[in-house]
Amino acid sequence: MTLTQNAHRVAIGDADTRRIAHLLRRAGFGPTRGEIERAADLGYAATVEELLHPEAQPDLEIEDLIRRYHVDQNSLMLLESSQSYWLYRIINTRRPLEEKMALFWHGLFATAYGKLNHAKAVVNQTHTFRRFGLGKFADILLELSRDPAMIFWLDNKDNHKDAPNENYGRELLELFSMGIGNYTEDDVKMAARAFTGWTIDNAEYMSIRASRDSFWPYGRIDWQFRYRDDDHDDSEKTFLGRSGTFGGEDVIDIIIQQPATAHYVAGKLYGYFVSDRPDEGAIGQLADEFVRTGGDIRAVMRCLFLSDFFADDAVRLGRVKSPAEIVGGTARLAGSHRFPEWTIVNLAMDVNFMGQEILNPPTVEGWHTGAEWIDTGNLVERINAAGIGVRDLASPGVRAIVDRVKAAGPALAPPQLAEACLDAVGMFEVSAATMDSLLAMAAPWGELRFDRADALACSESRVTELLQLIVAAREYQLA
Amino acid sequence: MTTTATTAAATFQYSHTVGFLAYQGRGFIHPVDLALGDGGVMYVLNRGGPETTARLNHKRVCVCTVDEGYIGEWGHGGIDDGQFWWPSGIARGADGRLYVTDEALQRVNVFDADGNFLRYWGQAGDAPGQLNRPAAIAVAPDGTLLVSDALNHRVQRFTADGEYRHGWGQFGKQSGQFDTPWGLACNAAGHVLVADWRNDRVQAFSSDGRFIGQWGTSGDGKGQLNRPAAVAVDDEGYIYVADWGNERVQIFGPDGATAAILHGDATISTWAADYFAANPDEADARSRSDLFPAVNPRRDHYRETSAGVESRFWGPTSVKVDDAGRIYVVDSCRHRVQIYRKHR
Repeated sequence: MTLTQNAHRVAIGDADTRRIAHLLRRAGFGPTRGEIERAADLGYAATVEELLHPEAQPDLEIEDLIRRYHVDQNSLMLLESSQSYWLYRIINTRRPLEEKMALFWHGLFATAYGKLNHAKAVVNQTHTFRRFGLGKFADILLELSRDPAMIFWLDNKDNHKDAPNENYGRELLELFSMGIGNYTEDDVKMAARAFTGWTIDNAEYMSIRASRDSFWPYGRIDWQFRYRDDDHDDSEKTFLGRSGTFGGEDVIDIIIQQPATAHYVAGKLYGYFVSDRPDEGAIGQLADEFVRTGGDIRAVMRCLFLSDFFADDAVRLGRVKSPAEIVGGTARLAGSHRFPEWTIVNLAMDVNFMGQEILNPPTVEGWHTGAEWIDTGNLVERINAAGIGVRDLASPGVRAIVDRVKAAGPALAPPQLAEACLDAVGMFEVSAATMDSLLAMAAPWGELRFDRADALACSESRVTELLQLIVAAREYQLA
Repeated sequence: MTTTATTAAATFQYSHTVGFLAYQGRGFIHPVDLALGDGGVMYVLNRGGPETTARLNHKRVCVCTVDEGYIGEWGHGGIDDGQFWWPSGIARGADGRLYVTDEALQRVNVFDADGNFLRYWGQAGDAPGQLNRPAAIAVAPDGTLLVSDALNHRVQRFTADGEYRHGWGQFGKQSGQFDTPWGLACNAAGHVLVADWRNDRVQAFSSDGRFIGQWGTSGDGKGQLNRPAAVAVDDEGYIYVADWGNERVQIFGPDGATAAILHGDATISTWAADYFAANPDEADARSRSDLFPAVNPRRDHYRETSAGVESRFWGPTSVKVDDAGRIYVVDSCRHRVQIYRKHR
């Protein structure tokens, strides 16, 4: 799906601003016009560096407030509470790429509440993605292998020296690093043996609790990683052509050195951040950078954001936003939920209704993305939720948009009004059909006046009406 | 092993736990405060959450006793008269009436001793007498009510009928100013103690709002506080602070020095024991478990430790004391009340 399939583009503003808006959409969750301006002043390359170094920005500044006002988001016992917590992070983060990477890794290493019955365990895993998501891929895999939610999800707690369970070893190779066809069944068996003894504390008790969804007597108990040497198979293993008394760390080291791993990870990053349609040349560039840097994800992402293929016109506005991007991005645009409000759970439910239960992906393969996010049912949800999100003039982001439109002139005829609204939203390219729809809506209003007290309230209200149509447009569904 | 903290003048010893996770009936779900009645009765205010239709009935007051008797429950989530949306604080007047603050509906609900709704008062705003997220409520010796008006960063006093008397405080870090205050308490002399939550301190005021003194600086050391949620005071002048961000209760002696620090010692309540009796396989597996595992937190050390070690406080939002020397700690993320005793 691209913007230009059936219609030509109507462009607003300069090419550099459009390019930087593209970067912020892909590396985050819907930039505000102010954020686009700030990044444009900073420059493209410097903005890329800022995005790549989230640690230079403060972590979530309202975490204490969230936990105070939402006790359920302090315990994170319930799925809806935990989903709401992630929405807060998406909306309020000053580290957009960190959050986007967390969502990316969550989709790739999909671990679901549905089997674990332990929402906080999955949240803890996403914190691991925040900490390590832009680091070395080897560290990501190592942390993942030690992650209690993953150990539970793929049954590594049942992977014993005398009775190996291959589930984690198989998915580590098939879905998490190399892709099918690049290893043998024996490699799966050896990987599984290498990870024997990687378990959690009190596995028996925790398994019983999870299996019957018991949170009694006093709520969930966080799982803890435990390495049990007495349950580890330290015998000789041959894995991907190399032999030794390998443990899990050794297996990960070998995986990282495989060309297939570089290509697989590069392909996943390309598909998530660039385009649903694979470009082997571009993926090859990313894979080369992966190899050159020893699997440094930050370096690969730098290569991606600075590449010509990322800047290509055909790529821009060519990717369907995920539900979390639509809902979180709209809240960011509207400036809502910057402070704890009970309505955050409604946003979390909206994301669910659109087909993306964050923290509870449908299978180990994660979500089917791209055009598959859209069907007749959830398209209505997407449009309705976005429209509701921007209709309140009291929301600071909506207020800022309206003020920016007002600053375009004391009186705006429909074409100027449409252009000013699009600019204020940071939507610099629309199809002629979308522009025609906006003009058709605005035409009956005639010239909107912002310089007359008797007309001001009506004019501002008209702007919010046009905003609702803008976020219902096809382009708003795309990043 | 249970905590026994001894100072020259007093010993603070873990007694027992009341509670069990229950969406309805005998147990609690995200309790945030309690009020003490006669004869060991406890009115435990359950905030529940999140605010989905299916979970609104979690919001309620569970009435039970300190020796684990279950009496009943009243209240329901909703926006109608007498219902709760974000219930936060509960206090009991000398006449037995119960007052419950609601941070979402910006009101104080009044119930009789049996939980029958009588009336509410309060409206949203920042004018004198108006409310913006009323958090805690306490009854002064003269029967007036003190409310921490969190997002107006002030304390307000009302009559028992909701008539505004006076208030003090504004946003800031200076003495007498507040940042999102939460818990408050009155001593016998009518002095008001306020948990100045985002300033990491407890401030004391005279009954007319004049600043007297303060406890705590930011941090996790002795004498330091991290987002204190609640405060209580006993007749000997000991100050009990629910040091929410540090997942502990810190007790200051009458001299202002730290007298004891409690981290939580929960044991199996009678209600929990009933559950395990009905689920022996779960009890059996539990008996073979290490309930004090080594926790390797990567983030927010105290909270993650509390999440991993079941007996510890996790989100202590309220602390109350009674005339018998009992200390009640509302353990919000663990759905229980841990009870300690002070011995001289």
